[in-house]
Amino acid sequence: RAQEARDFRLGIITPNGHPWNLAAAKVGERLKAETNGRLSLTLFPSGQLGNEAAMLQQMQSGALDLGWIMTAELGSRVPSIAAINAPWIVDSTAKVAKLVRDPLALSLLDVLPRETGTMGLAYGITTMRVVFSARPIEGLEDLKGMKLRINTTPAYRDFYGLLGATPTPIPTPAVFDAMSNGQVDGLEADLDLSWNQRFDKVSKTMLRMNAIFMPCVALVSGRVWKTLDPADQELLTRLTREALSAQIDETVVNEPKLVESFSAAGIPIKDVKVADADAVIAQYDAIWQPKAPALADLRKLGATL
Amino acid sequence: MNTWPARKAPLPLRALQSASEGVLKIEKILLGLLMALLFALILVNVVTRYARMPLYGNDEASVYAMVWLTFIGASCMTRLRMDFSVALLTEYLKPGLAKAFQAGATLIVLGFSLALAAMCWIWLDPIGIARAGFDAQAYAGESFNFLYTERTQTLEWPTWIVMGVVPLFALTTILHGAANLAEDLGLVARPERPPLDAGQGVN
Amino acid sequence: MITGGAFFILMLVGVPISICLCLASIAFIWDSGNPLLFQSFVPQMFGGVDSYGLISIPLFIMIGEVMNGGGITRRIVAMAMAIVGQLKGGLAYVNLVANMFISSILGSATAQVAIMAKVMVPEMERQGYDKTFAAGLTAYAGMLGPIIPPSIMFVIYSVMAQVPVSDMLMAGLVPGILLTVLFCTVIAIMDVWQNYPRGERMDWAQRLRVVLDAIPTLIIPVVIVGSILTGLANATEAAAVGTLAAILIGRFWTRQLSFRDLPAMMVRSGIYAAVVLFLVAAAAIFSWVLVYGRVPQAVAAWVQTVAEDPVTFMLLVNVILLVIGTAIDGAPGLIMTVPILLPIATEVYGIDPIHFGVVAVINLTLGFLSPPVGLCFFVASAVTGAKVGRMFIVTLPFFFAACLLLLLLSIFPSLSLLLAN
Ligand code: NA
Ligand code: NA
Repeated sequence: RAQEARDFRLGIITPNGHPWNLAAAKVGERLKAETNGRLSLTLFPSGQLGNEAAMLQQMQSGALDLGWIMTAELGSRVPSIAAINAPWIVDSTAKVAKLVRDPLALSLLDVLPRETGTMGLAYGITTMRVVFSARPIEGLEDLKGMKLRINTTPAYRDFYGLLGATPTPIPTPAVFDAMSNGQVDGLEADLDLSWNQRFDKVSKTMLRMNAIFMPCVALVSGRVWKTLDPADQELLTRLTREALSAQIDETVVNEPKLVESFSAAGIPIKDVKVADADAVIAQYDAIWQPKAPALADLRKLGATL
Repeated sequence: MNTWPARKAPLPLRALQSASEGVLKIEKILLGLLMALLFALILVNVVTRYARMPLYGNDEASVYAMVWLTFIGASCMTRLRMDFSVALLTEYLKPGLAKAFQAGATLIVLGFSLALAAMCWIWLDPIGIARAGFDAQAYAGESFNFLYTERTQTLEWPTWIVMGVVPLFALTTILHGAANLAEDLGLVARPERPPLDAGQGVN
Repeated sequence: MITGGAFFILMLVGVPISICLCLASIAFIWDSGNPLLFQSFVPQMFGGVDSYGLISIPLFIMIGEVMNGGGITRRIVAMAMAIVGQLKGGLAYVNLVANMFISSILGSATAQVAIMAKVMVPEMERQGYDKTFAAGLTAYAGMLGPIIPPSIMFVIYSVMAQVPVSDMLMAGLVPGILLTVLFCTVIAIMDVWQNYPRGERMDWAQRLRVVLDAIPTLIIPVVIVGSILTGLANATEAAAVGTLAAILIGRFWTRQLSFRDLPAMMVRSGIYAAVVLFLVAAAAIFSWVLVYGRVPQAVAAWVQTVAEDPVTFMLLVNVILLVIGTAIDGAPGLIMTVPILLPIATEVYGIDPIHFGVVAVINLTLGFLSPPVGLCFFVASAVTGAKVGRMFIVTLPFFFAACLLLLLLSIFPSLSLLLAN
């Protein structure tokens, strides 16, 4: 069985050119090279096979082999995973890079086979998320009363709710328009997406909250996993971790360049310090600690990084 | 082919036709209500957002109203035979042959409804969930089918209920398809319907 | 291959296109030897319509229902007469201009032809135009319905291509106006040997009265576009605001609409919307199995051996769509071709998805006016009794004008992208 040839299908929601897609393509190349073409990988970008919920369903049935799914989707199904989406576990992208490679963070994925029928191999990351605001703002207090377009995962809804913003769901392709014509007063996103979409062109301030980030998890269908030879399981795990580890390092290196690009484009950038946010953290943890028991340990770990 | 007056058709076929007509009536009422609900939800969304109090689950509710409208409306349209079709060949056939083709096409639609019902059965796995004592978590653990543990993103409604409109659609189109077939085969008379207003179209 | 053949035969004998798409998908899954995909059939079908952007479709159809019952059409035609009616060939121009205005309220071609043929053709016949020409002209003018915003086909496309609905809608404005101008030019040229009758004269007071009477009806497009531009609503919500405006105008300005008519209108719009939306659901399944089976990749490999640059590719697309459009026009044609052609256009040739969408939609709209299946001709014929075959022949110059527009749009992307973003 070790010699069985197969072509894995990998589904991902982000479009071609996104750092995650590049990393996925690298996994495919290495897989081919190291098995002399016995194993290969076809990438289905931009949600070609359906949205993340649909891809999870296909992985559960075994129709889709691999899927790189964001913790927003996983966390709205499995609250304990959402621990990683809590605010101010760490306060910089460099620390995110250390956090997601720590065994503690990886142990969050242990419940995945039972709760979702998939195996989690590794995290990929984006930069810490920023808020773009249609009017000039100075800090967190100014988010009060703001109609803010957010990623609709429960962790974020609670976080922005505690900051006093009114979370507003807007479908992703319509965000730029919603911002430019005033349907929302602000939006939150990572730096990569924001630069691609040029959110600075419809904003007056970029607020670096240094609070939250949205990783993806490289998943393998549980059903498919069981059919793989242990050597192939090991190979797939190693190559995925290597490619995403490189992606994580690149994200840290690229962040200052992206910030510089925004700065050069002329948008004022404000930074938030953790000290501004103690009250919010306490309120947030009161809600989420019972649902996501690993949260306290993650905070302890984050403080040491 | 003979078309018997409706009165003389065998009782089971008349029962089939009345059941289909009854369901159609209910479907039309639901459609009107869903359309009104959709319209209202969107307007409420505009007003509440303008008033800076957007309702968090409103978008999702509007989308699901539209999805239910789609499948219930699709069931109606099957009964009313108003789907997009090409039917290039049948235009050039003799009336008798054209009728046979029409019945064949109806049979194929019925076949699809049955196939869809079968796929709904696989997907819902009613026996599996019953065997697990309706414990969604336990069932998901052994079957890798997480349908019954899932909830929608913002309203947090059970997904299987929201998506239940598809199996419902499969059942009603089986009924409508069978009634259509009985009419195409001339076993029962087609019901009289006011012609649909030609002033509309969707293309 | 066998699946493909069976699919076309099913379609030709009159099985609805949506069912054909579903059955083709089932055959494809069967053939792939991966029965696990059957478990995803239902959620994929549901997921195909589980999309916010599609909400505007039932609402745009509702606007048409309200307009039909609210006496709005007659006022717009009267206004067009006051503007261009006294020219030589006046009623022909009136037909085009009135259709252009009505296109800014209606989102579908066949609905528009059905409404306008009833009003315009008897009037043109009375003034001495050939009935077949009048019916054919109305059918062509109906093309503007899905091109000038709002447009059901653009909404479907924007959901399939994941581009903002509002950008897609605005992109149709320039091509729509351009097409009106091209059609007017055709009338001016044809007038040289056809010698069309001159329209009736109207004095300025009369004109003013007619225009003032019609202006409130133009609030509907202003509300639709204005609510988007001012940020009151997104493109989807604008459809609801537009519907509200149409109801209020029909009830309180033209006073031809009664609130008691609304429930029946809601039911009818619901069914008509379902016809389109169910097709979208079927298409979601179909495109999913195609992608899963890596069909677009295979087609892309072939296309690259034929077309070297974006313009050649777009011209090739036009030829393919014109051929497909003879039999399968409008939304169904869009739904069957976009999943295969769009990824090639954007990824291989770097074509803007909005540009591609404008060309594809207009091309498949022209399919309404090509034999043997030309829905706009069928509708015009059903309403007026003119013969379809002769209608196609006497209006051939309009067909060439539309082809010219497609050529221009294919070569100059800026015509489509000017107002989008
Ligand atoms: Na229009
Ligand atoms: Na045609």
